[in-house]
Amino acid sequence: MPGTADEQSVSVRVMVNDRAHQLDVDAGEVLLGTLRDRLGLTGPKEACGEGECGACTVLVDGGPVASCILAAGSTNGRVVRTVEGLAGTDELTTLQQAFVRHAAVQCGYCTPGVLMVLTALLDDVPEPTETDVRRALAGNICRCTGYQQIVEAALEAAGTVQS
Amino acid sequence: MRFCRVRSVAEAVDELSRWGTEGRILAGGTDVMPQYLRDEQSPAALIDISGIDGLQGISEVGGVTSVGALVTLRRLATASLIAMRHPALAQAAAAVGGWQTQTVATLGGNVCSGAPWADTVPALLIADAQMMLVSKSGRRRMNLGEFLEGAGATALRPTELLRAVELEPVGDRSAEGYVKVGRRSAMDLAAVGLALRLSLTPTGVVSDIRIAVCGGTRSPHRVPSVESAVVGSQLDDGRLDWAAAGAELASAAAPERTEAARYRRQVLPGLLSRLADRCVAGIPGECG
Ligand code: FES
Ligand code: FES
Repeated sequence: MPGTADEQSVSVRVMVNDRAHQLDVDAGEVLLGTLRDRLGLTGPKEACGEGECGACTVLVDGGPVASCILAAGSTNGRVVRTVEGLAGTDELTTLQQAFVRHAAVQCGYCTPGVLMVLTALLDDVPEPTETDVRRALAGNICRCTGYQQIVEAALEAAGTVQS
Repeated sequence: MRFCRVRSVAEAVDELSRWGTEGRILAGGTDVMPQYLRDEQSPAALIDISGIDGLQGISEVGGVTSVGALVTLRRLATASLIAMRHPALAQAAAAVGGWQTQTVATLGGNVCSGAPWADTVPALLIADAQMMLVSKSGRRRMNLGEFLEGAGATALRPTELLRAVELEPVGDRSAEGYVKVGRRSAMDLAAVGLALRLSLTPTGVVSDIRIAVCGGTRSPHRVPSVESAVVGSQLDDGRLDWAAAGAELASAAAPERTEAARYRRQVLPGLLSRLADRCVAGIPGECG
């Protein structure tokens, strides 16, 4: 569990995947810990824990952030979306479906973070180029796919190339 | 540790004077939180200024651009006012880390970290940046060149907050840019970064040139010896021979006897001529 004895807590009102939460978090707690340990949202993964790999990426007010280094206390009043908040109950998003079709998921550890960055990109730039996609992914490390399938899936989901 | 959320500049300077050196300002937290998590920093209080609305603005008043300390790097990289008036700053902001970092990291944090590799700082130096500081005892402004006091050190007092940075925009017959070299093309600290602002007369004489570098062992800095050698030069067929300026830049900006400095000496001349050609091409007129 997050937190140590000499840390004081701070109260946070935050919207996560369309549900409002009122939480007491520890002063040094990071959002990734809040999501995984307090809210049971284990989609965002911890790999480096230092903001270098993107496995923990979630959207805060629509922008991708590394939740492993974001102070939970500073998310007060903000809107957070994790990979769990992308799909409806039984339908995957267009982007997720493209990931399945292109085998853009191998071990899957990077996938929740990659999906969040690409979701933000498709919201921002309706018709991204391959360069846009690769640039958007600069902060996400994938050790399995070599990125090619990920890029192809993103471009297909954007409708930039035909499937 | 306490978490102190403040809503206004007045509340922030109150908390800063209460905690002094025991308090740490938290904005985007991309430096502060990793340092805390690695036990390199153990402040008694994190003073969270990220919710202060008054520090989030980009504006233009009387020919001066004012950028609030909490403006994120992503906004700098994408805002049209910055792209038009401070393209080097937009390019520098886009060169910091990945998107995840740029979403939350702030201009104030990049400057106040005092990091030798802070990409935005050379771009601010060529815009003659003024630091607008505030504390309980009042306001002061300070030239960025004086504000930087060596690797990791600035003139920011423990009780003081950076409110905004004021910048001189690029003029009509001027162009500017920022280029960076790291070990890989993204997500790396600058081994060397170079910002250049170049102004030409209609007849192709260099009327003003400002050069600033980052990535060494000291604070990012202007390179006046190169600036004064180039100013007054006449373009020949739309080009300038940058070889002499490049050699001077290499020895002035990377004089150390280390391998890292040797590397910087090797890349700086090429970066300068590439960036300079790009600037010349961006200036309209017979010679551009
Ligand atoms: S786990 Fe957060 S960036 Fe690597
Ligand atoms: S699928 Fe394994 S790390 Fe990306």
